Amino acid sequence: MIALWNVFRPVVALFLAEHRVALAAGAILAALTVFAGIALLGLSGWFITATAIAGLTSASAFAFDVFAPAAAIRFLALARTAARYGERLVTHDATLGVLAGLRERLFRNWAQPQAARILLKRPAKLLFRLVSDIDALDSLYLRVLVPAFVALAIALAVGVALALMHPLLGLTASAWLLLAGFGIPLMAARYAKAPSRRRAQALETLRSRTIDLVAGQTDLAMAGRLAAQQAAVAVADTRLRQADDALNRIETAVIAGFGMASACLLGGTLCAVAVLADAGIIGGPVAALALLIALAALEPFAGLRRGAVELGRTFLAARRIGPGLSPLPSATALLMPEGLRAVHLERVSVCYDGSSLPALEDVSLTLVRGERLALIGASGTGKSTLLALLAQEMDVAAGRAESLPATLLTQRTELFQDSLRDNLRLAEPDADDARLLDVLKVAGLADVVSALPAGLDATLGEGGFGLSGGQARRLALARLLLRDTPLWLLDEPTEGLDQETASDVLQRFEAQMRGRTIIIATHIRREAMLADRLLILERGKITRALRRGEKEFDEALAGLRPD
Amino acid sequence: MGPAADTSSTVLRTPSSVADDRESLPVSSAPAISRDAGGTSARTAALLQVLASLLWLPQAALLAAGVGAIANGAGLANIHWLVMGVVGAGIVRAALDSVGTRLAFNAARGVLSDRRHAATASLAARSPLDIGRPASGMAASVLAEQAEAIVPYLARFRPARLKASTVPIVILLCVLPLSWIAAVVLLVSAPLIPLFMALIGWRAKAASEKQLVEMGGMNAFLLDRLRGLATIRSLGAVDLTARRLRANAESLRSRTMAVLRIAFLSSAVLELFAALGVAMVAVYIGFHLLGQLNFGAWGGRLSLNEGLFILLLAPAFFEPLRELSAVWHDRASGEAAMEALDRLAQEGIFLPGAEDDRQGQSGGIQSAEVRIDALSFRHAGSEGLLFDGFNFHIVPGERVAVLGPSGSGKSTLLALIAGLAPYEQGAITIGGTLLTAATAGKLRAHTAWVGQKPHIFAGSVFDNIALGRPHLTQDNIQAALDTAGLLGVARARGNVQIGEGGSGLSGGEILRLALARAAADPQKMLMLADEPTAHLDTTTANEITASLLASSAGKTLIVATHDPVLASRMDRIIMLAPEASLEAA
Repeated sequence: MIALWNVFRPVVALFLAEHRVALAAGAILAALTVFAGIALLGLSGWFITATAIAGLTSASAFAFDVFAPAAAIRFLALARTAARYGERLVTHDATLGVLAGLRERLFRNWAQPQAARILLKRPAKLLFRLVSDIDALDSLYLRVLVPAFVALAIALAVGVALALMHPLLGLTASAWLLLAGFGIPLMAARYAKAPSRRRAQALETLRSRTIDLVAGQTDLAMAGRLAAQQAAVAVADTRLRQADDALNRIETAVIAGFGMASACLLGGTLCAVAVLADAGIIGGPVAALALLIALAALEPFAGLRRGAVELGRTFLAARRIGPGLSPLPSATALLMPEGLRAVHLERVSVCYDGSSLPALEDVSLTLVRGERLALIGASGTGKSTLLALLAQEMDVAAGRAESLPATLLTQRTELFQDSLRDNLRLAEPDADDARLLDVLKVAGLADVVSALPAGLDATLGEGGFGLSGGQARRLALARLLLRDTPLWLLDEPTEGLDQETASDVLQRFEAQMRGRTIIIATHIRREAMLADRLLILERGKITRALRRGEKEFDEALAGLRPD
Repeated sequence: MGPAADTSSTVLRTPSSVADDRESLPVSSAPAISRDAGGTSARTAALLQVLASLLWLPQAALLAAGVGAIANGAGLANIHWLVMGVVGAGIVRAALDSVGTRLAFNAARGVLSDRRHAATASLAARSPLDIGRPASGMAASVLAEQAEAIVPYLARFRPARLKASTVPIVILLCVLPLSWIAAVVLLVSAPLIPLFMALIGWRAKAASEKQLVEMGGMNAFLLDRLRGLATIRSLGAVDLTARRLRANAESLRSRTMAVLRIAFLSSAVLELFAALGVAMVAVYIGFHLLGQLNFGAWGGRLSLNEGLFILLLAPAFFEPLRELSAVWHDRASGEAAMEALDRLAQEGIFLPGAEDDRQGQSGGIQSAEVRIDALSFRHAGSEGLLFDGFNFHIVPGERVAVLGPSGSGKSTLLALIAGLAPYEQGAITIGGTLLTAATAGKLRAHTAWVGQKPHIFAGSVFDNIALGRPHLTQDNIQAALDTAGLLGVARARGNVQIGEGGSGLSGGEILRLALARAAADPQKMLMLADEPTAHLDTTTANEITASLLASSAGKTLIVATHDPVLASRMDRIIMLAPEASLEAA
């Protein structure tokens, strides 16, 4: 239990920090709803029995105060409805609030350098898992916390009501409710832990095998493995089915368990009230009240069923997400270079986590402000790693690194599902439309954008219009132009652009580069030609450094891809 | 009014007419299964659950008799059989309900598996050249997560609907002989529920489902931003994005709540009528028993037992309706999932011989001579022909480069030779065998493919080369690793999983992997390579060219490319006419 609490504590703490009042109000309204329902039924039973006894003689019938209980019954009926409506509104509003808070907090924490570095290396599958974990946490409040509170409150209320008839009856009923009501879900949660974990895994497998089937269809067809891949998808589904089946068996057992516990409570209460009535402690109407309370008492516990079965999944999610909720220590920023230097590296090595081989080894480099440098070398030799180091996306393993604040244009074009305007404004939130159109003009996209019916409001991504690879790249370049940092790091800036467009864009781009320090990682001649210096990397080391005007400089340029 | 009309008509259908529908439709036809819940066992399941609900009638009668006996001064000794009856009926009820629930689940889960199977088969059977083919991420979302909604829909919604259409009627028939007033109270409040729900609820319901979709969109927003975290960090836009995320979520919250305020009214109406129904029955019976309302019981006077019995039945009368409303959203998401799966299972351009995995068998073709006679092909939906009476002949062992501007059909030509799409007219003959849907599988057993963007499967480097082909030996793979220059990578990665777009592999390494895949199978006699050196730096491109030549030694090689260096290394160059591209565009 303590281990369970430790895992859930950061999540619950976040819930409470943001919406303490609403969360509590939702739970209390939920308890009131159930309470009014039980009271309505119990009072009705009491009323009918009392009137039946009073109605036996006309004198007692005349003396019976019929209006107070009748009014109470109508009041409870209305109160139940109102409480229910209020509960649903308040709990949903609180859940949506929690959902917003959770996502914002997680994003902020993941965006911190240390976390981001780990996250960036994760393949899409793990990012997807992260999001489904957040979804699993959303249900913690509605499916676990609220029903548990309601069940506890009702168990106590029922105990008090029955204890007024006889202390032992109240105590026994309360104990039974707590034992069966919480015991059954807790056992279910325990048994469901393994299958719910298997279920999450099988679903991920099914997902990745389907992706393999569709995206890898040509490779599979050529290898004669299409039918085999279909069979593999079917195997994943069978495993998922087995886990589903185990979970359904547990859930059904919980329902049956509650049904039987309820029948026993009903039988026991019937015996107890018969004995109490026989002893003259209570009368018929109170006996009816007790029975009807017992009848409805286990109902709120059924609300714990789903939460219990899913608890294993929620637990897994909380364990994976929880650490992401606590603030991280602040990162060590790169040192600021002195004087005219823009970048200064002294025997710097960089390692990827889990790899013993350094991605950059013993790299020394000094760049004066305004210089332009091109990094060349075959793929995988550390060009992008050097840019990532200067963009502070990677840690220095050894050596000393100084750099001016930099903006990185990543090798993979990263645009977002958002309007064109907001994609650009990510770089400069205060930029007005005129400024945005200016940078689009430099990137050669002004005509494309003005031809769109929605103009800058056109949305990228699903459902909206799509950009071609070359257009997307140019949009990323336009976005970079809005960043007024002294150092730009460009990773293959014109990759995917045809020759004509690329030279056109690069020509206008050069004017924007003036006064800035530029580092370009490239294997295309047209990009390297912008540089005053060339660095040739091989296996994480600088093997040659060339300057414009040297003979080898031109030779190195000539060896690059011409298009 | 659409959904309301639909429900009432299906509710009113008798179980037997539903069953007739099921049996008359073939199981393999996808739209047919959407009205099927797994046949007989689903029906049995629903009936068992109805029976369990109905067992409340004797249980309630016993409870009422118990209170009556106690009020008359009977002790424990006189009611012990009543107690046993109450407990026994409760246990039988619980048992019947569990059996019913399990049967319903199994039937529904079976349907889900069948549906997934059908969708998978049709995804596999669609040509990669079919532009209408769903994207892999979308297909995976529908097939994995979204399809899950089918189970609650079939397992819970259907039994709930059967309960809602039978249990209240039976209860009404039990109450009617005792008190027609109580029956009228129930009868009047029950139909009002769906009426009010329809008036208030269903329109708002549709809107609230839209909101749920938007809520899914918020996850997409987060996922999207996490993928581009490097850019967001580099642009200093972390705080901006976090505030956007929050603002989006808050605006979604206020919009959703505006809709829910109305949508929840429909369930409040249900609660109100259920609670008022119980209250009115209780108050009426109370006044009646006091002798103040002497009508409604067919001229007689109800006994305490009868009065309590009616009171106990009143909540049970409304319970199935509440249950139905609680699972109402299962129906919408379940039907949406079925439609999405149906869309995945839609037929498009077929992949010839998709089911024919005849690899590793000898006796296919003798030589990899490729002959194309009067080939005609057009892309689906395009007006002009991409190839019109196209001819060429390649002798066994020849190395040919296919050149042409982009859009001239280089890649399409290779795909047609590989049998990845059916062609319209003419003949493609490989090693003397005419390429048809019947022979495509056999011919592919001898054809290797090096694509521009090879897919990296979830698995190790070794797995990615072997692709589970049973006829390949360890030695085949090692030799292929060597030829493709991947030994170092394979050793460094060991059994570590790669995949998901080949994270951690460079562009050159990914192409080497494709080369190794092609080179591993000794049965391959014809090698097709689609722009293998595009987007690579010069050094890597030269290395890939060398590996390509090495791994195609003794085989026929056809390369589609615009790389003049690669083309110059071939025996012959075939230029595709630019006119073809004009026609295609």
